Amino acid sequence: MLLFRSERHVDRWCEQWGRQRGGTLSLAQGWKLAQLWYGDRLSTKWRPKAAAEAESVFRGVGLVGEFWKLTR
Amino acid sequence: MSASKILDQFDGRLRLFVYRYFLRRGRCPAVSEIAKAVATTIPKVRASLARLSESHAFMLQEDGELWRVAPFSAIPTAFPVTVGRRSWFGNCIWDALGIPAMLGKDARISAACGCCNLAMPVTVKGGRLLTTDGIIHIAVPARDWYKDVAFT
Repeated sequence: MLLFRSERHVDRWCEQWGRQRGGTLSLAQGWKLAQLWYGDRLSTKWRPKAAAEAESVFRGVGLVGEFWKLTR
Repeated sequence: MSASKILDQFDGRLRLFVYRYFLRRGRCPAVSEIAKAVATTIPKVRASLARLSESHAFMLQEDGELWRVAPFSAIPTAFPVTVGRRSWFGNCIWDALGIPAMLGKDARISAACGCCNLAMPVTVKGGRLLTTDGIIHIAVPARDWYKDVAFT
């Protein structure tokens, strides 16, 4: 999960590595995702997220579609 | 109390010890250091770390030492995160953002463009992201993230 200057730089990186383009999100979405994902990490009550919970977090920051699916 | 409940409590205690050690010392504890600190044996620590790694929140190196204590990386990466006078490494940009998110602290992430390596410092202050430019690319679909974490 890398940070890029622009869409053009993402495309160039994919070309360099011979990879198909994956999923993208804005830095702002990344910050929201980090807050939802890691906000409770130091709590004694923390538990790993089930697939459906993780998908719910993704949806919460606008990450939807097949790329973000964990459940069948 | 069931055996699994006892194991849960032990794993939880060990998990928090590792995080607190990371926060206090700025580095990951070795398995032997964990065993000494929680007054148990190295095999019991290894078994607990294996269970904690099932969720991928922790991940182990081939030698059994910790590699990932999400969002921290036990080894240097291209995502150094500075909080006050302390610094750690995130495993990726998501995890680097996860460090100030987890701590609720201001931070500076010394990131760079994955393509051309141009410096792209990211600043978090007062719970807000001050840097707006930048696109995060995730190379593989979510359900395949842990097939090759280093590439993801």
